[in-house]
Amino acid sequence: METEKKKIKLQDISLGTEEPLVTVTADDLMPLPPPLNQKEKKAPYPPLSENQKKNYECSLDGVSALALPKPKSKEEEEKLVERFLRGLEKLLSQKDNWLFWQPLMQSLESCVRCQTCSDACPVYVSSGNQEIYRPTYKSEILRRIINKYIKKRGKIISKLTGDDIELNWPAVARLAELAYRCSLCRRCAQHCPLGSDNGLIGRELRKLFSQEMGIAPKELHDSGTVQQLRVGASTGISSAAFQGMVDFMEDEIEEKWGKRIKIPVDKEGADILLIHNSGEFMSWIENPVAFAILFEAAGLNWTLSSEIYGYEATNYGTWYDDVQFARISLKQVQVAQKLKIKKMVMGECGHAHKGLIVIADRILLDEMNFPRESFLPLLEELVCGDKLKLDPQKNNFPVTLHDPCNFVRLMGIVEPQRRILKKVCPQFREMEPHGVENYCCGGGSGFAIMNSTNFKEWRENISSRMKLKQILETFKDVLDPSIRKYVCAPCSNCKGAIRDILNSKDLWEKHSIYYGGLVELVANALVDTKKPFIEWEWH
Amino acid sequence: MGAMILFIFYGSILFFILATALRLRRCMNAPIHLHWELYKGSSIYELTDWWAKTHSTFGKKLWSMVLDILFLRDFYHRNRRFWYPLFVFHIGLYLLILWHVWLFIHAVVGGIETVSIFGWVWGTFSTFLTFIGGLFIFILRMTDEELKVYYPPIHYVKWIFLLLTLVGGIIAVDIHFHSSMPALLKYVREQITFQNFEHKLHPALAPALHILFASVWLVYLPFSHVYQLFFRYYHTLRWDDVPYGRGNEIERRMKEHLERPVTWSAPHIQSGKRWREVASELQQTSLPESK
Repeated sequence: METEKKKIKLQDISLGTEEPLVTVTADDLMPLPPPLNQKEKKAPYPPLSENQKKNYECSLDGVSALALPKPKSKEEEEKLVERFLRGLEKLLSQKDNWLFWQPLMQSLESCVRCQTCSDACPVYVSSGNQEIYRPTYKSEILRRIINKYIKKRGKIISKLTGDDIELNWPAVARLAELAYRCSLCRRCAQHCPLGSDNGLIGRELRKLFSQEMGIAPKELHDSGTVQQLRVGASTGISSAAFQGMVDFMEDEIEEKWGKRIKIPVDKEGADILLIHNSGEFMSWIENPVAFAILFEAAGLNWTLSSEIYGYEATNYGTWYDDVQFARISLKQVQVAQKLKIKKMVMGECGHAHKGLIVIADRILLDEMNFPRESFLPLLEELVCGDKLKLDPQKNNFPVTLHDPCNFVRLMGIVEPQRRILKKVCPQFREMEPHGVENYCCGGGSGFAIMNSTNFKEWRENISSRMKLKQILETFKDVLDPSIRKYVCAPCSNCKGAIRDILNSKDLWEKHSIYYGGLVELVANALVDTKKPFIEWEWH
Repeated sequence: MGAMILFIFYGSILFFILATALRLRRCMNAPIHLHWELYKGSSIYELTDWWAKTHSTFGKKLWSMVLDILFLRDFYHRNRRFWYPLFVFHIGLYLLILWHVWLFIHAVVGGIETVSIFGWVWGTFSTFLTFIGGLFIFILRMTDEELKVYYPPIHYVKWIFLLLTLVGGIIAVDIHFHSSMPALLKYVREQITFQNFEHKLHPALAPALHILFASVWLVYLPFSHVYQLFFRYYHTLRWDDVPYGRGNEIERRMKEHLERPVTWSAPHIQSGKRWREVASELQQTSLPESK
């Protein structure tokens, strides 16, 4: 017999228990459509090992995204709580947090608790409406902590306004983890009738932990922004290694296109500096290869850069730390300046679009405000302006499009990718919902690269679950494995998250659902290629 | 008692004006933030060389704001069940506010004895709509599991008080003034032209109570979330595609901000240095906690 689950309250965030507030079970999960409509037996994520439980804070939901060490003493706990409060004061100060103060205050002050945002959140819905994942849960806790500990309201007002959260170490530790259960897709903010942005509140919490307390996932900080500032790329690719990859790309191009070309690198005065997520060179080299073929076929005056910071578009600071974000943005633009190119064009990387083109715009002053744009309008000009000889019949298989949140909802680039796909893919079909109403792939805001402890399983089975449901519904009439299907994900992190969900459910092997970028489809449609560009080999 | 009512009424108006001005000042003086907008659809970033193209106009944004506020479009699309009472309440409220404006103007410049019955119909109909909408919102807030979530107790008190204010208005107009628009207009004229102090110092209970309730609302409004509805469009928190431009106001203000000291204390940040320095210098400290 099923026992009824305890209803989680806001005040539970401060409970001094080692046991998680919630452990999501297979029964809780949102059902999936065929062929995955059998009731799942396996828990969505495994428990941490005894050793991990002993060392790391995991009392939110039994998952550890941060590997946050447990304090050794009461004094240490108190010090950390005090640092959290000092950080919170800074977050709310115009002087200290001028970069995001206004939207943060808007978000904190405008919520009318209509919970319209809840149904918009893929994590909340996929998890079976777990209260801790409700978009307003962390925001309301923060709001009440602010009212009680920062604004210090009297007892009567506190009772009336419900400011009854006790701020202790368990609350701080759970909030730190909770900031990494939201992928910052901001679908909730899009749905909020009052303009309250729970995604931003999540990001600001991450920032408080990073900038004041030195707490951040190691994938984002140590092996992310710190590594990027040290060696040039978050993947650790050095300038010399990058050169080797360019040589490899030239071989690939010769094999597929039948032409030997010299990929332009560090070409001074070029019209375009194309900048990729360096993860593409490591995991999906066909993506930069396709770009190179298309740009060469169209006769563009373009270049890649082998300069440190010039071959990496990512900027993980976008998701957790303003200082690291600003440092990386400046370094990237300096490369473009040095090369005297006309404009920077972002490759298939969503957060690089939003980060460098939009968020960094106001801190890139004077000559640093270098022209920056997306690859999409340019690619649309090439495809729809008939600058490439294309045969759409080469892509005569079902294709659907995943909309990366960062350049669709958060930047308003909605139509070019559709016009391209309609031109080159005769069986293109939309996911529902799509465009600015899309669902996150589940890998946003760093989730796609956070694989420590049991976070990967949490991501695959909870935060990516809505995307999996959408993909299956889109291809429901063509699930036959003899029909190859393609999920087009024009963003490196989205691609990684989608690869992982398809892989975890064997959907390539059993139902021939493949994934890849957008330029690969265009390259596959080129008339004069030696062999098909898309090889349909799982990787 | 009369003097107190008088003091509260005129004081609350003064307070409302001052608090609103301060709140507007706080909003306008807020530091310019980094771009963080959301989009309802296609933006200028869909174009090549977007920085050289024309951006959406202020008029377009203003029109979007008017439609949002008038019809509560986001509630209509995302939370239809809640939209029905909300829409009735808001339409009633907007009409009621306009009615008060008309009342004040007509009391001073219009013919009091020749006023049309339409004035009474307008006021009663708006109050009725506001009351019905408010009552259903209150009932939904009490009964709907989602709408109860995190709703602070004080807001239930607020709704009860609002309904009482509306009932007070009906009592004042229809019982005290016997639904007589000339009598009501005469009373309003006395209030806003500072006449008949004797009447003010010894007010009748029904209008005095209604004025007292209205005064409480005037004091509360500048602190409510209502203003946020407008502020979200200020500095274009949504749908902003106006980029940085050399020599413009954004540049001037950003340059000031970049001279501010960084105060954050984590090891990878050189606290005390200016933002401009911290952003352009390399600091490679790892976070000690995240091993």
